[in-house]
Amino acid sequence: MSERSGQVTAGSVPAAGGAVADPDATTEGVPARKRTLADSAPVSTSDRLAERLRQIRGRGALEIGLVFVLVQLGCIIYYLVDPAGFPYLEKSNFNVLSQSIPVLAILAIGAGILIIAGEFDLSLGANFTFCALVFTRWYSDGSSAWTATGMAVLTGVAIALLNALLVTKAKIPSFIVTLGMMLFWEGAALFYNGTTAALMIPSDTVKQVFTADLGFFRGQALWMLGVGVVFWLLVHRHRLGNHIFAVGGNPAAARAISINPDRVKIIAFGILGVCVALAAVLTAVRTGSVQPGTGRGMELKAIAAAVVGGVALSGGRGSVLGMVLGAALILTVQDILLLGGAPGFYLDLFVGLIIVAAAFFNRLIEGKAK
Amino acid sequence: MSPTATAEATEAATGEVLLELSGITKRYGANTVLSDVGFRIHQGEVVGLLGDNGAGKSTLVKTMSGVVLAEEGDYLWRGEKLTTLNRQETERRGVETIFQDSALVPSMTITRNIFMGRELTNALGLLKLKQMDEIAAQILDSVVTIEGIKSPRQLVGSLSGGQQQAVAIARAVHFKRSLLILDEPTSALAVRATEALLNYLLQLKQEGVSSVLVTHNLHHAFQICDRHIVMNHGRKILDVRRADTSVEELTAAVVEGPEGLRRFREGKPLA
Repeated sequence: MSERSGQVTAGSVPAAGGAVADPDATTEGVPARKRTLADSAPVSTSDRLAERLRQIRGRGALEIGLVFVLVQLGCIIYYLVDPAGFPYLEKSNFNVLSQSIPVLAILAIGAGILIIAGEFDLSLGANFTFCALVFTRWYSDGSSAWTATGMAVLTGVAIALLNALLVTKAKIPSFIVTLGMMLFWEGAALFYNGTTAALMIPSDTVKQVFTADLGFFRGQALWMLGVGVVFWLLVHRHRLGNHIFAVGGNPAAARAISINPDRVKIIAFGILGVCVALAAVLTAVRTGSVQPGTGRGMELKAIAAAVVGGVALSGGRGSVLGMVLGAALILTVQDILLLGGAPGFYLDLFVGLIIVAAAFFNRLIEGKAK
Repeated sequence: MSPTATAEATEAATGEVLLELSGITKRYGANTVLSDVGFRIHQGEVVGLLGDNGAGKSTLVKTMSGVVLAEEGDYLWRGEKLTTLNRQETERRGVETIFQDSALVPSMTITRNIFMGRELTNALGLLKLKQMDEIAAQILDSVVTIEGIKSPRQLVGSLSGGQQQAVAIARAVHFKRSLLILDEPTSALAVRATEALLNYLLQLKQEGVSSVLVTHNLHHAFQICDRHIVMNHGRKILDVRRADTSVEELTAAVVEGPEGLRRFREGKPLA
């Protein structure tokens, strides 16, 4: 280290990678160099870890992560104490969780990215129903699973983009546009399919692709992982993600630096459409039957999962990790209550409490960031 | 000596004309906020734009950056008359404006704010975060040695007003612009940071970058500006080289307008 600081001429800034650990040290007559920001790059592993934690915290996902880990630890301890009374670490339980969490997590990613960009989509649930119906009908009418999936994705994106155009071009607040569209597409689903359930018998290949039995887990978990990684890259590591945060965080600033907010919002709606269609296909393949009301209330659950995961409803803040954890936490708590034998009508009560508590925590974090 | 004479003297002394405004008039309803304002800014020149509240400085800044369109008058950039004027147009030509309410995104890191809209990416559009962090750290170190910023990965929302200003300035100066317009840049800065900023503007001047410094603080302006323009009720009342004026004369012009200026020149400063 000392040879290194010896080479630094006064006022120059060394490459951040080679920054010294103790920049104030005086060596061989060289006056102590002022600590510069270039020195702030994390050097040791613990520094890097601390940096990463700070970053996750800034995105609102640290608290939820801690709560999630604590809940998991609690469940595992409870299971070890009383495996028969609380079969948490059983294959059957993980089978259930790994089928329900991915659907909500993927929906939460779609809803969450749109919220970061500063808009809502209340028609998400109706869109979900419609996509599931489209997939089921095309598949059971003899199309290949790929065609059916493609049709579902087209449907999801088209419905979302219609919202996007009404919001950005006609300048109607997304809350109202998508509230109207929610009712419209709920009605359209009945018109398209009637009031009975649409049925399908997925082939073994289709089951393998979407819902494979992987021992402890089901295939949906891999889909969640894939979607999560892709959108994590897009949101946190890609130019587009930067613009999504900017548009939601300070639209005036975004416009001042020549980012087109409408374009970014339209893309965010499109992302939601893809997520909704994928979640719908996963659900359709698992259940084999789609009720015309299957997606009702999904929009609120998805938004709730995103908020629990630290996404700010005012836009500009959030993380993909948080959205997934938010979905996982809500469904884990529901699972705990079911395993503990709580009557079904208690569930929403607890989910509601989690949402309000999470919003309260977010408020505290935002206050601190100001 | 008349203001026109000094303006001509300035031109003889400096380089190419970068920006020329002539006959700029702007009204908001019945309110005329700028009337027949004209001046030139040369390459490598630091110009102080002074005036009391309501003198028309902010509107003039917005006119220069293309945010506000004047009803009358011409906007010439390097001798070329610009007809379609907006922020993008002026930015494309190298004008960077730092507004008082700096256009930053509080929920994003310093690095991401500095590179907003001009991200360094690979062919797939993925961000080169490490490289961006290093450059951000370097420019923050060299531009505005400001206390309290610990890392370029800090969220802008966690910074003080002065620190945010510093980030906005760092962003402007990094992208080698030809004309910086700084609207009250030192109002929220501590003494040391102010000094660093003023020094940096002088350093940029050596590299041929011009700046317009809008400020209330005459002493800051006087320290580094080659020329001073004083506005009063929407009119330019003084346009003078530093060598031909004094802090006292500028004070008289800013505080008391044309009347104060006349009295000062008659040897009866500040009533």
